[in-house]
Amino acid sequence: MEKDKISINQFALMYLLLIAGGKFLKLPSMLAADVGHDSWLTLCFSFLWDAICLTFLLWAIRINKDSQLDISAILNNTVSKAVAKIILIIFFVMFVVRNNILLASCYKMFAVTFDVSTNWIVYIIPVVALSVLTLKLGFNSVARASQLLFGIIFICVIVLIASPLSQVDFGYVLPIGEAGWGKIVSTSFLRSFWFTDYVFIYLLLDNVKVKKHVFSPVLTAFAIGAFVTIAMNAMFVALYGDLAPQFDLAMSKIGVHFVSKSSNGRWDWLTLSIWLISVFIKIVVFFICSYKCLEKIFEFNVNKLNIWAIGAITALFMLPIFLPIEIALSTVVAYGLIPFAIVQYALPIAMPFLTKAAQAKLNLGNTLTDSIKSAKRFARKAKENASV
Amino acid sequence: MYNIKRISIFIFAVVAIALVAGSFMGEDIISRAIIIGIGIDGSDEGVRLTAEIVSPASSGEQIGTFSKTISANGKSIATAISRIAELTGKEASLGRCLVIIFGQEYYENKDLSDDIDYLISSDSFKESSTICCVEGSAEDFLNNSAAMSQGVSLALSTMFTSQARQTALATNTLLDFTLSQRGLLKTGFMNQVKFVSSDNVNTQEPDKSQGYFDLRNIAIFGDNKYMCMLTDEEIRGFALLNNDVTGSSFVTDVDGKQLTVTINSKDIKFDLQQGNVIKCEINLQGREAHTDSGEVEGQFVAQNKKELPQAAIDDIIAQATAQINSLLDKQRQYNFDIVNLHETIRRRDGTSEQLNNLPTADIDVEAVVKFNEK
Repeated sequence: MEKDKISINQFALMYLLLIAGGKFLKLPSMLAADVGHDSWLTLCFSFLWDAICLTFLLWAIRINKDSQLDISAILNNTVSKAVAKIILIIFFVMFVVRNNILLASCYKMFAVTFDVSTNWIVYIIPVVALSVLTLKLGFNSVARASQLLFGIIFICVIVLIASPLSQVDFGYVLPIGEAGWGKIVSTSFLRSFWFTDYVFIYLLLDNVKVKKHVFSPVLTAFAIGAFVTIAMNAMFVALYGDLAPQFDLAMSKIGVHFVSKSSNGRWDWLTLSIWLISVFIKIVVFFICSYKCLEKIFEFNVNKLNIWAIGAITALFMLPIFLPIEIALSTVVAYGLIPFAIVQYALPIAMPFLTKAAQAKLNLGNTLTDSIKSAKRFARKAKENASV
Repeated sequence: MYNIKRISIFIFAVVAIALVAGSFMGEDIISRAIIIGIGIDGSDEGVRLTAEIVSPASSGEQIGTFSKTISANGKSIATAISRIAELTGKEASLGRCLVIIFGQEYYENKDLSDDIDYLISSDSFKESSTICCVEGSAEDFLNNSAAMSQGVSLALSTMFTSQARQTALATNTLLDFTLSQRGLLKTGFMNQVKFVSSDNVNTQEPDKSQGYFDLRNIAIFGDNKYMCMLTDEEIRGFALLNNDVTGSSFVTDVDGKQLTVTINSKDIKFDLQQGNVIKCEINLQGREAHTDSGEVEGQFVAQNKKELPQAAIDDIIAQATAQINSLLDKQRQYNFDIVNLHETIRRRDGTSEQLNNLPTADIDVEAVVKFNEK
């Protein structure tokens, strides 16, 4: 659909904003508990796997440039409809769980950093309302909003991370690899759930406008985002040492040192507030992705918003009222590690081949109806190109 | 029919939000007691907490920052803070606390572990707050006023964060102190502050003592328990071995003429050699002090004509070496480490139980001081 179309540059920009999220909040303390001051090395390995998988996924997008098949069409025509639905269910669970983690982290940040307490329902309702509005307006609206806000958000991130630099002694991350390289690498796999933020592109495979470059803008954005995340993590463990595991709002804690030279004000609150916009963009994106998963699983009418699907996702966001978020989510993440890893790492690597196979199969099994559909699709694309 | 449905949904949504939102209790800033400094003393109940509070509603139309102190007893810091909230009728807000002060009787006799753990574990508490101890009780200390009629917390905070570094005085934050008490040899330091009275020029509070704060004492703590105080010579040695501070000064007599030299920058290198031998090279840069205004710091200062005779330079090096060795001897005697000798070994060998228990006396330190006039 036209309203969901995004360009590769928009994807790159959005991805750069989305990389942070929980990696600037809860993850640093978890990694510090696992591997101590070598947590930044774990991030390096995790981003390395991400880079490899992202490259394959971008290759698949390039292959899919003309055929514009969506994830359902590709999987239905290759691994079978049943397997496709299972994969989409895994995606759905992953998006919902990640959103709950992000929502809980933001909720805690508002409570402890900004001293604003509210109840969970009042907190969730506006987020859901924003997500539903974005769903109605289309993915392109999120992409455009990200473009508009990117500059100010990125500046705030750089300011927040750069300001305590003079107080940080990076010598505290020495000796490198003290936790043991085996443990560092295995931790990067055990915490893989927190990575592969590019997964949202699966739900937009048929809506990515590829013109010239595919790899360079996205990989550049990824490299910048990865570098900033690793730098932030290294700074956090260098600043907080043995205390790092007990602070699960890392970005907020780094912000405290922003004002250590000043007796007046909490300027870190301003930059943190602006940075949090990127977290809410991420929540909205994942909400849309959860909805689209349900749309493809149950084969809804794509032209109308399905109120039941929205209600189901919203109901899942209410889980923290009944269950402690940490226990519930760590259980899901622990049991779901392998299925999540399959869709996060195995699927991107297979995607180029699956896309080619789906294209080939569709060409081989082409009926008159399919021919008419293909012709209409090409005519629409020609019209779009002409208007551009 | 469709419009009725839309209106019904809208009304339902509004009612639902209104009902749910009714449970949200906002907190106006006026109903908060913003604590900018806390003093901790002992009491029969356990702890006597004195809080210096800035309350927005109390400032009225007066210019400047006005604060009040209020004290309360409790079994722990947390209960004492609750008591203060009861007494003031406002919620205590610790997110702006600048200074933590321990009273003399309290820090000399008590284990501060529980208090430090409580403060560092609080998510909203600033770990970059300054931590110090005082001569006498913290309550009396906070009830004084700085010579320029400022509140104690604000004045102290400014002195610790801004001025101390340029006057060769090492200071410590809650975070650094906590880390020092948890890692390696579990020793660290706090500044001890003395209040020096002066004439009270504040006509609005004639009964309140006014004066200055002497920060020049350092107390050593091991595992959150008081160990000893440093002498003036040892404090100078500590300042020389601390990369964060400059402004050390030396007075030397050459051919009957007295010269005062101020250090405006330095470079300290710890070179770990075989075994536990550390070669410490301290490169000092300074020049003769001509005025009492701050010297330009750093490596990139303009070159000036060299004025100091070699004899003066040799004397400075000798004085600096003596001060450093004085501190190192004290460290060996009392088994503490505030100049990161254990940390230097950790960066090469990693953390181990053996290193955590390694006595400072077993670490050989060879301090080499060089001076460059700049």
